[in-house]
Amino acid sequence: MEKKEISGNLTSDARTLKTLLPAQDILTFDFSDGKSRKYVCFFADALTDKDLLAEQALRPLGRYAGAPEAKTMATHVLSPEVRTGKDFQKLAEEVLAGNPVVLWEGADEGLIVGTKKITVRAVAEPPTDVAIKGPREGFIEDVKTNTSLVRRRLKTGELMIEMLTVGRRSATSVALCWLEGTCREDVVEEVRKKLSAIDIDAVPDSSYLTRFLTERPYSLVKQVGTTEKPDIFCAKLAEGRAGILVDGSPIALTVPYLLVEDFQSSEDYFVPAYRATFTRLLRLFALLVAIYLPAFYVAAQLFKLQLLPVKLLLTIAGSIRDIPLSPSLEMLLVLLVLEVLNEASIRMPKYVGMALSVVGALVLGETAVSAGFVSTPAIIIVAFSGIGLYAVPNLIEETSVLRLAMLLAAGSVGTYGIVLLTALTLVYLVSTENFGVPLGAPFAPFIRRDLRDTFVKYNLLSLKERPASLSSPNKRRQK
Amino acid sequence: MKKFLKTIPMKLWMILCALIVFTFFSNDFGLVDIQKTALVLAAGIDRTEEGFALTAQIAVPKGTDRTTGGTSSVEIEGSGETVSECLADLYAKTGWVPKLVFCDLVILGESAVREDTFDCLDYFLRNEYIPDSCLLAACEGSAKELLSSTSAIDDTSALALEKLFSDAAQKSGHVMVTTLREFAIGYFGESHSGYMPYVRSQAQEGDAQGQGGAQSSGDAQQQKPEEKIYTARETAIFSGGRMAALLSPEETFAFSLLEGNVYAGTFTTDEKTYVILKNKGDISVRVQETPEIRLSILCKVQIYGESETASPEHLAKGELSPEEEARLSQTLSECLTGLWNTCAESECDLLFFRRSLKRTSMEVYGRWKDLPLSSVAVSIDARAQSLK
Amino acid sequence: MKLRSRQILFFLALIAPVGKLVLMPAQIVSVSKNDLLFPVLAQLLVQAALVFCVLLLARRERTLYSLIESAAGTVCARIVTVLFSAFLLFAAFLPVVEQKTLVRSIFYDTIPAYLVFTPFFLFSAYLCARPLSSLGRMWDILAPLSAVGLAGILLLSAGSADYGALSPAGAAGVQGFLGGTTSSCSWFFDSALLLVLIGRFPYTRGLAWKGTLCYLAGGGILLFLLATFYGVFAEIAVIQAHAFARMSGFFSGMTVLGRIDYLFIFAVAFVMTFYVILPMQGAVGTVTEAFGGKKALAPLLSAGVNLIMLILVYLFHFHTSQVIRAITGTLFWIFPVFSVLLPLLLLLIFGRRPHEKIS
Repeated sequence: MEKKEISGNLTSDARTLKTLLPAQDILTFDFSDGKSRKYVCFFADALTDKDLLAEQALRPLGRYAGAPEAKTMATHVLSPEVRTGKDFQKLAEEVLAGNPVVLWEGADEGLIVGTKKITVRAVAEPPTDVAIKGPREGFIEDVKTNTSLVRRRLKTGELMIEMLTVGRRSATSVALCWLEGTCREDVVEEVRKKLSAIDIDAVPDSSYLTRFLTERPYSLVKQVGTTEKPDIFCAKLAEGRAGILVDGSPIALTVPYLLVEDFQSSEDYFVPAYRATFTRLLRLFALLVAIYLPAFYVAAQLFKLQLLPVKLLLTIAGSIRDIPLSPSLEMLLVLLVLEVLNEASIRMPKYVGMALSVVGALVLGETAVSAGFVSTPAIIIVAFSGIGLYAVPNLIEETSVLRLAMLLAAGSVGTYGIVLLTALTLVYLVSTENFGVPLGAPFAPFIRRDLRDTFVKYNLLSLKERPASLSSPNKRRQK
Repeated sequence: MKKFLKTIPMKLWMILCALIVFTFFSNDFGLVDIQKTALVLAAGIDRTEEGFALTAQIAVPKGTDRTTGGTSSVEIEGSGETVSECLADLYAKTGWVPKLVFCDLVILGESAVREDTFDCLDYFLRNEYIPDSCLLAACEGSAKELLSSTSAIDDTSALALEKLFSDAAQKSGHVMVTTLREFAIGYFGESHSGYMPYVRSQAQEGDAQGQGGAQSSGDAQQQKPEEKIYTARETAIFSGGRMAALLSPEETFAFSLLEGNVYAGTFTTDEKTYVILKNKGDISVRVQETPEIRLSILCKVQIYGESETASPEHLAKGELSPEEEARLSQTLSECLTGLWNTCAESECDLLFFRRSLKRTSMEVYGRWKDLPLSSVAVSIDARAQSLK
Repeated sequence: MKLRSRQILFFLALIAPVGKLVLMPAQIVSVSKNDLLFPVLAQLLVQAALVFCVLLLARRERTLYSLIESAAGTVCARIVTVLFSAFLLFAAFLPVVEQKTLVRSIFYDTIPAYLVFTPFFLFSAYLCARPLSSLGRMWDILAPLSAVGLAGILLLSAGSADYGALSPAGAAGVQGFLGGTTSSCSWFFDSALLLVLIGRFPYTRGLAWKGTLCYLAGGGILLFLLATFYGVFAEIAVIQAHAFARMSGFFSGMTVLGRIDYLFIFAVAFVMTFYVILPMQGAVGTVTEAFGGKKALAPLLSAGVNLIMLILVYLFHFHTSQVIRAITGTLFWIFPVFSVLLPLLLLLIFGRRPHEKIS
């Protein structure tokens, strides 16, 4: 019968544990106290700081001559992170997590020593969220480092960090963070429940968890906020959200999510309010233009010429005179080329980047126009649209699909197609909720007080209360 | 069954997406894209024995070569019993679908204005795709010749004509501009009247001499077409849809003053040019024993130029002396009188006397609506005040 | 998701007026000429009183079906609900036809293909399948959009309007007033729309008065729009079928800026899309409630209703004028039965009972 817990027979116990850890990078080290007590130490080769292990645990144990009870022995180990465990499965998991396990003859439990050494990259500015003013730190792949970055910014006993494990085979550590008394308890409870219910092999990135946290997993719109910056993460916790840090992923998640958060950047809070208002409105404008401009351009040419002033129309008509494709196909083609360029520029090696830029700009741009495959206005519109989408990078997946859908609607039905698709999108957005919070708040439902920090940003002194949309039990954040 | 019902939404979405993609690629709604349309910038209408001849000035997009810039155009004529038939004829001749959404100018030739203009304007008013804000104008000779002429101002004659009717031109007081909407309201209203600027074209003087020189030297090269200058200082007035009379430039200016349109407009009389910086005009109708129409204008004026040199102090002020004010007021008064007399003689209720009667009360309107304009008492009050 | 009282007020003030901006102005002008404001004012006052009645009824915080069921039993309640839903579908037909003509006029440059309005029914089918209480959030967005659109149109058209064209008052006489009132009945059934919504929002103190005032405020905007419309077009107003879309095109700045009025027109047309679908959505919602509220019923009903509406719209595609004449002329009396008599009757029967809420 397979043993589940430590028996005290070292040989048998070691054999059982070795059965659970057959990989060749899981090593064992036999040592003794020089007299009768033998020890076996199990550790993962790449994940253990062997010097620290020897110094903090093995040397003191080698000199220990007291009772074989694990709890007593633990007090002689010089590591602050020492625990005990009986269950072989748990002990195996600890070894795989990088925490060596020590067994000995007559042991009632095993000793788990926290001498992990994981190679992680340095804390640096995240590439997806660059700030000219403000902190430059970003989360990295190590959850412990990430929690330290959070802890450093919220030095309060109300900050709760609960460690969960998700993934049958990856045993990924997930840190659930919230501010007690500020975040709704039911939100925390629901997140905890959803995370605990996840039954999946591995969780390589935090984005896997978003599917399980949302009420509509097949939704076109994201329902979980993301950030790579600890200052934004802490600000969101302070507003009354719950945050999730996933080991192995630099992208933190926050819930509940409001669509308007993606139009806010951390820098908005570090510059004067009028500047922040201007930049937010600019982002909104850029995004709307990026989504609608290609569609309206096609609709204007095919269905409603009056949308364009006559002189502009004649200029466009002159440009497209000899183009073989219809306006809708031409626009679709150029958009697809842009998407391909986008994808290739992310994937390609750095060394060929220069060559591809030349190909993209000169060949696909200028030469295609000269050859008469596409027209200049189409290139200009797609270029502006492509740039405009990146004004709100967090919504890039949704908006690029929406842009394509608008183009299809415009090319098939015309201006009315754009109106109907906009109506459909709006209905969809306003009816989406997560954790009881509507995605469209504070516009739908209309919450006047919260409008102070949406597209128009009031002075920090005016933002005395937390957003009402989040229904935080602690409304006041500033006197 | 439940499983089947659950898969329906997804299947419906897929069918819908397939349909949209199909319509996108086939563009099978029978719609006309820009390559197949004729963008009509202006329409000229002349009457013929068979009905109408419509000359459409169609914008031709130039290529992307910047050296050739500007808008070029081509004039195509269509004929038929109605305007609608003329457009169908145009379509048949060119294969382009005529789109009148950009038709900002409709010109009626002499032959068209002699009969009821709404025989042809009716089409433009009914058609919901033609803007009611399009300008109307009458012209000397045929509208076709006018549109086909080469303007010295712009490559496209319609655009040159539209410049004549710009806001700035209106403010000068020398052009009275009307739109289809305004003309239609006047036509269908109690007054059954309206007006349009009357366009004349003349050759540019320098050009005429140059042309002569080229001819006399026996130059084998093709001559440049004669460039025309357009003027619209006269106004054609209409009663019951037909042109009833032509207002002289002075009467047109007086009409502008009455409408309160003039702002920094110039007026020359007695070898002096005045600039009217601000003007208020009012037309009111009073009914006591008989109805009386009262025309009053008040202008703030400065002297702009004299045929004799004045002293620097006099130049600096630009003020009018009381005598000059009185003389100018008298002149303006005479212009207003001339305007009213022209309207009365042609029975053209240009100043909407009958409409004003109706707005006073139905009873009053019922009593006096058939009164000839020549029997209506008129009081005129024109005051020119120097800007101090 | 529940409706809020604020959303009801938004609906009454800013969304209800937009449904009366397409064919109604020209229709009334053809009968009442320059006295077009008086029949509309009469309708507004009557509807405002009925809105007050319906909102008083809303104090019970029970839906129409549950009110009737509690008094007369399930069968009777179902019959009344089905009849009421049939009326809503009948009432929806004219707005849908209007919307079709409007779309073909303002969204396209030449007469578009026959089937270009079909996607509207797809969207309508989606929206009708959604619960009525989901409307509220859309109204939070549509109300400011409507306000901006209407304000823009008014601003651009007021300068071209000659308000003197409205005088003399009373020129059309009693006949004109009565003719205008009867022919406008088909557009004034907002109290019936409100009946659909009772029980889906909590009644707050003073809501009946606030709702009435909001409705009257919306009516004021409508009257101002109609006055401006007649001021702009005067004698030719009768041929301006899509009033709000045509009156702002004479702004002097258009020559420089281009057709900026299309921004406002499209905004109002966008709001109109939702208003037009509301009666159908109400019909589907009330029948779903009456017949058990099963999850699959609403989508099926919605698909069926929209399919029927699509068939009817295209069946009468070449008989639009006759349809409008039939609904506004011959069959106008149906509207007061359900939008005037029914709310009054319900208020008489249920309004006197002590105030009670569903537990």
